[in-house]
Amino acid sequence: MIHGKLRLALLSLLSTVEEAEFTWLRAKTNSTDGNLGAQLLKLEEAGYVEVEKKFVLRKPQTLYRMTQSGRQALTEYVQALKQLLGAAING
Amino acid sequence: MNTNQDAQELAKQELTARLSLIETMIAEGRQTTESWGWTFVLWGVAYYVAIAWSTWGHSNFAWPVTMIGTSILTAVVATRMSSKHPETTMGRAIGAIWMAIGAALFIFCLSASIAGRIDLQTFIAAVGAMLGAANAASSIILKWGAQFMCALVWWVAAAISCFASASQSSIVFLAAIFLCQIVFGGYMMLSEARERKSQEEKSGAAHA
Repeated sequence: MIHGKLRLALLSLLSTVEEAEFTWLRAKTNSTDGNLGAQLLKLEEAGYVEVEKKFVLRKPQTLYRMTQSGRQALTEYVQALKQLLGAAING
Repeated sequence: MNTNQDAQELAKQELTARLSLIETMIAEGRQTTESWGWTFVLWGVAYYVAIAWSTWGHSNFAWPVTMIGTSILTAVVATRMSSKHPETTMGRAIGAIWMAIGAALFIFCLSASIAGRIDLQTFIAAVGAMLGAANAASSIILKWGAQFMCALVWWVAAAISCFASASQSSIVFLAAIFLCQIVFGGYMMLSEARERKSQEEKSGAAHA
């Protein structure tokens, strides 16, 4: 699920902040609106991110924050990567 | 045999690229480009306006009106600017310190100005001590020596005004505002502009 480059980048970014706006995530990942929206929806459906839509100074704002299971999935992914890399280096 | 080694090498490169992507994104996320230098300059100017108004205008409402006006202006501009940046735990911690000290300063300035029972030296000592505390707490979180120097300047000003005359305390207060608000705020704005420029240059290499 999180092996996809953009989804992995998004979870890594969201792990460093309390919450982030769609436009900030788009700028940091240099992705298009459509691709970013689709990948965020997949992460939301997997329960890795939460979405909040609100208005700030009459402008719509979409905020994303990482869930506990998203954080756990990223941690497990990094551990698995390190193990595989260790095996690749030793092998 | 060679094909097997090539496949292993490719897999290793792929895994390394994934790990590198995670590291890059975490570093990107932690970079803060928020701008707060302007608030120091704005509040420095506001203190000067309040001092001038209360001294020459002889108004008990100089401090409360200036503080309320500046608070509203700060809140509106900060809301507009912060909507572009995500909230970090560190940002929330620093924001909490300044909001708490700001509320304490506001209640104190409002009450002291309307009551008119506190002498100038005590007023300066209390304001200086509170601003010193906010700068010190913020500098400890940010590990920023320059801001801790501001805290020391405010605390020294607070201590001096406990012993000095009204006119001497006023001079010390005006000097502290100039150093810790105008000069430090200007320095902060320059640092933030440099940081933004370097991030813009680097963003060309950002990928996902």
